[in-house]
Parts: sequence; structure tokens; C-alpha cells
Amino acid sequence: MSTVDIQQVTKTYGEVYALDQVSLTFADREFFGLLGPSGSGKTTLLRSIAGFVTPTMGQILVDGADVSRIPTYKRDVGMVFQNYALFPHMTVFENIAYPLSVRKTKSAEIKSRVERILDLVQLGGYGSRRPRELSGGQQQRVALARALVSRPRVLLLDEPLGALDRNLRQHMQIELRQIQREVGITTILVTHDQEEALTLSDRIAIFRQGKVVQVGRPDDVYENPRDAFSAEFFGSTNFLKGVSLGVQGGIGAVELPDGTRIFTNRALPHSGSSVTLTVRPEKVLIHREQQPAGTSGSQWNILPANVIQPVYMGASVTYQVSTPPSTFSVFQQNRETRRFEAGEAVKISWLPQHTVVLDD
Amino acid sequence: MPDFAAPSIEGSSNRRARIRDRMLARLHSRQETMAKCRKLIGYGYLCCLLAFIYVPILIMIAMGFNESSDYELPFRFSLIWYQQLAGNEVLWRAGRNSVILAVASTIVATIVGTMAALAMSRYRVRGHAILQILLLPPMAVPWLILATSMLIFFYHSGIGRGLHAMLLAHVALSLPYVIVVVGARFQSFAADLEEASATLGANPWQTFVRVTLPMIAPGVAAAALFAFAISFDQFVTSYFLAPPGVTTLPVEIYASIRKGFTPEINAISTIIMVVSMLLLGFVSRFYRFGGSK
Amino acid sequence: MKVSRTWIGYGLTAPAFVWLGITVFLPLAVMFYFSFMSRMPMGTAEVTFSLEQYASFFQRDFYRFLTWRSIMLGAQVTFFCVLIGYPAALVLARTVKGRWREAILLLVILPFWSNALIRIFAWTMVLRTDGVIDQVLHLLIPGAPSIGVLYSYPAVVIGLVHSFVPYMILTCYISLQAIDDSLIEAGQSLGGSNLTVFRRIILPLSLPGLLVGVVLIFIPVVGSFMEPRILGGRDGIMLGTVIEDQFTEVFNWPLGAALSFTLLGIVAIILALAYPFLKNRVKVA
Repeated sequence: MSTVDIQQVTKTYGEVYALDQVSLTFADREFFGLLGPSGSGKTTLLRSIAGFVTPTMGQILVDGADVSRIPTYKRDVGMVFQNYALFPHMTVFENIAYPLSVRKTKSAEIKSRVERILDLVQLGGYGSRRPRELSGGQQQRVALARALVSRPRVLLLDEPLGALDRNLRQHMQIELRQIQREVGITTILVTHDQEEALTLSDRIAIFRQGKVVQVGRPDDVYENPRDAFSAEFFGSTNFLKGVSLGVQGGIGAVELPDGTRIFTNRALPHSGSSVTLTVRPEKVLIHREQQPAGTSGSQWNILPANVIQPVYMGASVTYQVSTPPSTFSVFQQNRETRRFEAGEAVKISWLPQHTVVLDD
Repeated sequence: MPDFAAPSIEGSSNRRARIRDRMLARLHSRQETMAKCRKLIGYGYLCCLLAFIYVPILIMIAMGFNESSDYELPFRFSLIWYQQLAGNEVLWRAGRNSVILAVASTIVATIVGTMAALAMSRYRVRGHAILQILLLPPMAVPWLILATSMLIFFYHSGIGRGLHAMLLAHVALSLPYVIVVVGARFQSFAADLEEASATLGANPWQTFVRVTLPMIAPGVAAAALFAFAISFDQFVTSYFLAPPGVTTLPVEIYASIRKGFTPEINAISTIIMVVSMLLLGFVSRFYRFGGSK
Repeated sequence: MKVSRTWIGYGLTAPAFVWLGITVFLPLAVMFYFSFMSRMPMGTAEVTFSLEQYASFFQRDFYRFLTWRSIMLGAQVTFFCVLIGYPAALVLARTVKGRWREAILLLVILPFWSNALIRIFAWTMVLRTDGVIDQVLHLLIPGAPSIGVLYSYPAVVIGLVHSFVPYMILTCYISLQAIDDSLIEAGQSLGGSNLTVFRRIILPLSLPGLLVGVVLIFIPVVGSFMEPRILGGRDGIMLGTVIEDQFTEVFNWPLGAALSFTLLGIVAIILALAYPFLKNRVKVA
């Protein structure tokens, strides 16, 4: 149906760059997550697509036509607000009928369309209720129905699940994704919840200080973070700093300050330059033997370590271990027969393909 | 614990517990009596206060129904003063002026004030700080000063005195109250309702009529009633801005009081009082005073 | 779009701006100008500008005395309003509950919006010689002396306290009911006696409301003229009544303007002193 093209959009408030030359393309029917800490510009971008914020520079194209100077009500976007912004003085039916009635749709058609969408969000029969009589999840669905009923070109979601408790939120994530597929609408989601972005999005963009740091499929961004910020923002991780020794035979080596060598099969900057490496906690094994069980130990990065603190979390255990000069966190499924105690001397190990080299 | 050993131990501990319970109960009942006492004193005090507030007013009202022209007791019921009032042309004219002024002032102050409140809560611009400052004098400066300064200015600028001058003054005094009351209403709901309306395809006018107006309606109604009360009861500015021959009820009453008392004043005062109180009763339905927990 | 929003912002406030400019800003400015005139700008007589009016204020004991009297009146009325109003607010906020509280509060405020003039007039019924108090007294004790207090300074104070005590009750009530019960319970659980809890917790937390009430009462009382005129008679001469005379009887507007500005100065000082406490409450939007 619709593509949205953000071209070199900049928004300044005085000296502050809320958006700094942001360019992104949202494909037709794509579910796109904008991720970042608060103040990173993701909300500003969403609000400029909605038309509440006028970019200082740049263009916002919907299906190839620049909308950045068109007022909100002519843009044909649907939006779900963080606290839903349901009209308290209207019933559920009137709320959902609102976008149709302001467009002077015939009342018979309004009725059938509202009822159809109420069924879609599983709220058939709730039409005569007032928003305040509904639960948080139901309000959320009303807001979604209201945003979708006029078949807008783009759906904007501003932390739509932030106000729900955890269980309901997971349930609504699945439902939201289903409805989005069913309707087939280009959807842009703003969230600071990485898990939500992972579950929902086809692609994500990570924002930092008004700039897009990385764009890609969620798994790709997770496995191959481009810099320390995306690595750390998207999931937890461990960092190592060292000096590149260059690549030989497809395997690169980095020397840590204490002389330990860390191997990676990723591209490295030329020999002698300093690099930052990162390893996800769940890629790391923890064991007492010299080598990880069932392997010869060749090709593995193996470091001696001391358990500082095991953090028991039911399904898993996270160990904080020290391997001077750094500390590591190691994630272990609670499947092993034995766990490690604080103070125990252990080895930690991971494969070279899990050593991610970051841009500085 | 074996069964047979229980009775003696339980007996003594029981007694101790009973004594303790009794002491606690006594302490509790003493606390309760104290609380009751405090409540009684509190309510008694409030009754005295309400008496202080209402007795003079009730006496004033009663004296309007007393036959004696010198307010003499014993009380003899009569409607003679109300009958006389019915024939008092001057008061009727003053009354008509008061109503016209109050209605006009209410309409103007409510519209102008609501517009300003809308701008100040939804379309912030720098100049609003100045308006905020201008809003203070009508609330914080004695009306005597405002009234005399308006008299000087109106007299020398050609605006002159009269109903139009009073209208200028009444609206000015009502504006801050309208803006505060309607502004509070704007604060009570977030701007995202209006933003939502825009994303749903409503143009600014549709948004205002279908979302903003219904949301602020209770505040606007309360503000209008405030404005009416302020104008209808307004004495100070009317007094200084009334040219000879054009008066409002409060100005006329003041003149009568200074000339000498007649129960006719009681009669008209009673009518005004009842009108004002009915209005305020109305306001309180829309606007909660003092808030609640 | 941004530009148009700004213009909407100005456009919507423009009428209020113009209105308050004509009725507040310009008049006060013109009055300030007037207060330097030597005489009324009427006829052909020459008008000179000087500090004459202010000088006469400071030279003549009479005006200084009047100002002092008005300030004292304001202080006394405010004092009695605190004395009567604060306990009432305390009882309302802490002892009375539910519907009673709402009803009594409404009863307290009800007369507050009704005509001030009429309430003052009502007191003349009660206070005058042969007034209600007097007559009831004579009914009870035949031959007792008359005790009319009308046309005296105490009558003015009584009338003004009656007029303004609802302000104090309301402002104190608002800040008292905002105090969280758990704070008071915490105070008690930490071993504070009722008096200590009041002195250390309730009073400091309600002080802003009390101060707002003080300002809201003191300022209009200093500028009152109708109440002293009706209830005080010859004993009711205040700064306000003299200003009134300049405009309605004597037609010495420059003197009236100078006196008004002196009054405004007093008000300004009080507002400036109270500003830190009022700042957060008078904010409009």
C-alpha cells in the first residue's frame, strides 16, 4: 500500500539537534521499530511523520509525495498514543466512528465498518461502553481499531504497550502483529523496550542523539552490532579492548593489554590499531575443565576466570566472573547438573565467530 | 504442649491477657472519648462560625419582612416593603442595568477568557508571560485603585463614564477568573486528545468543536457563572464609573444606605442575595471548591 | 505551519491583551502621570508637574496617620481572620468527613460570592443602637443601657472579618487537606504528641495556604472604603475613604491619584514579600 521515505530530516530546537540528517525508508506493509533511549529522537521522528513536528530541514515522502508541510489531518496516518488518548466523552463506538464521521461517511457504512473492526480487535458488543469502563488492554484495542478504521496509509505506534503489565503486554504483542499482518499496513513503532522491538519488528533502527546508529533485521542487529552503543542498548554484552594483530588465514587476532590473544573470524582494522570487541553473555561457556566439554579446544577463545557472583534466575543463571582486567557476564541455561559458587576458579570460552569487532 | 499441663498455665496467662485486654480497651475507649470530644468541639466551633456568617444575613432578610420601618421588634410579618419595591422605578431601572451588564460582561469575558486560556495552554508563545502579569492586578490590586485609575483614564481619553465603561471594567475583573478556571480545565486533559483527533482526520475546527469544547465545557460553564456573579455584585468599579442617572443595583443600594435605612433596601438585598446564592449553587455543581482527596 | 501556530497563539490572546491594556495598564499609567499634577486639568488654569501631591502626603501628619490606620486595620482584620479561620479549616480538613465536609465548605463559601455591600449592610441591622442586639438585650433585661457599636472602629473590624474570613478558611483548607494522612500518622508513630505533630508537621505544611490567605485579605482590607464608610461613620475614616472623597466629593483627582499610588505602593511591598510563597499558586497555565 504505502512506503514512507525519510530524507535527510533534521529538527533543531535552538542548539539541540533532536534529529540530525536522518534518512530511512519504510517499505510497504513493513513493521518497523524505532529504538533508542529517551531523547534519542525516535519520538521526534514519529511525531514529524504524524505532522506534529515540522522538520527544520529535509523531506518526508509518503508514496513519493512530500507531506512534511501538510497539516496532520490531511496526512492520512493512524496513530496509537502511549496512553491511548481515547475521547472520554464518547462511547467506544463513537470513538471508532470518529475518523469516519469527520470524513462525512454515511452512517450506515460507519456502522458496518465500526462493527467489522470491533470484531477484528475482538471487542464485538463493547460499542456502547465508555473508555473508562474498559481494562487497559481493551482500551489499547479500541485505540488500535480507531487508528485503523479509516484505512490510513501508515500506522504510527507511540509506545503503545508501555502502560500494560508484562503478561498482557506479551499477549498484546502477538495480537498486534497479527492484526497488522491482516490489515497489511505499513507500521512504525516507537519503543524503548528491546524485547518488544524484537518480537514485533521486521526491521529496526537504533537511535542515538538524533542520529540513526544502525538499521537492519532485529536478529542481524543483535548478532552484528555496529558499535558499542547498539551492542549495549540491544541486549546485554561484554566488552574487551585490545590491539589488532591483523588477520591470517581468515582468523584475526587481538592482543589484550595483559598479552592474552582473542581470536575472531571477522574483519579487523589493520595491525597495530586499537579495537573494541564484544561477546554476548549467552555465547560464552563456563566450565572447570581446560576445554569446553566435547571439544578439542582448538579454535576456542579460552580465558581463566573467577566467579564473583552467580545470579540465579530460575530458568537460567547469570555468572559475574572476573577475568582481569575485565569482568564478564556469562549466561547459562539452568540445564547443567552443577552450578558454580562464588570464588570458584573457572574457565570461560567462546568461538571466534562470536567475537564481534565494533566500530569506534 | 501436653494437654494436662495446659489449664494452669493457660489460666494465669489468660488472666494476664484479660487484664491487658481490659487496659487496652480502657485506653482505647479513652482515646475514643477524646476523639469524640474533639469532634464535638470541632462541630460546635463550626456551628458558631456558621452562625457568625449567617445570622446577620438572616436578620437582614427577616427585617425585609418586618412591618416596622425602623426595624423595630417584635416582628410583624408584612410584604409591604416588597410591594413598595415593585413601585420603585429607580431601583427597577438600576436592576435592569445590572442584569444587562452582567449578561453582556459574562458573554464577553467568557469568550475572550476562553480564547486566552486556549492559547495559553495549547499555543504557547512568548508574549503570554506579559499577559500573565496583566492578569494579576485585577486579582491582587484593591479594586478601589483600579476603579479610580479607570475613572481618570476613561474620563480623559474620551471613553467617558456609563454602562459601556462599566462593561469594560467588569470584563477586566472577570477575565482572570475565567482564564484560571478554564485554564485549569485545559490542564486536566492532555493535548494528545487533540493530537489524536488530528491524526484521525479532523480539521482544527472539527477538533475544537468535537473534542476540545466538550472537554472544557464544565469549566466554561463555571467560568461564565463566576463572571456573572462578579459583574452582578460589582460595586466598586460601577460606583466610580456611573454617571449621574445611570446606576446599577449595588450603586443604588450604597446611595440608599448613605441616605438612611429603609426596609426596602432589605427587600432588594434579599432578592440579590438569593439570585447570587442560586448562581453559586449552580457553579458548585460544575466546579469543585477546594478539591477533594 | 509553525508560523501559523504562533499567530494563532497571539491571535487568541489579542482580545484579552487589548482589554486588559485599556482597563488596567493604561489607567494605572495615566494615574501615575496624574499624581504629579498640581491641580485638575480643567478649564484654563495652568497645570504644573511636581511632587507636590506626594510631598503633601509626607508633610501632613493627617495622611501619614491615615495610612498607618489603614495598615493597622488590615493587620487586625487579618489577625482575626487567621484566629477564626485557621481552626475552622483545620476542623474541616481533619475532623469532618465526607458529605458534611462538602456541605459545610459550601456554606462557608456561599456568602463569599454574594454582594459584599449587602453583607455589610446586614451588620448595620445587628450593630446599631436600637439594632437587633440592642433590642434583644432590652427584651431580656428591660432598662439595660444601649450597646450600639455601629459607627465605631470595632464595627468596621467585625464587618470586614465577616466579609473576608471565608478566604482564610478556603486557602487554609486547601493546603490542609492536601497533607497526606500518612505524614501525620508517621509523625505520631515516631512519638510526637498531637501538639508536636501540629507544630512540626501540620503547621509548616499549611503555612503556604495561610500566607496566601493573609495576602488575599490584607490587600483588599487596606484598600477598603465602603465598609469603613457604612459601619465606621466618623470613626471609619481610612485611606480608602479619603481616596473615595477625592474622586466623588472633593474632585481633587491628582491628590486622589497620589494617595491611590501610595496605597498601591503598600500593596506592591506586600506582594513582593509574599511573592516567593505565592509564585507557585497564582500560575495560570
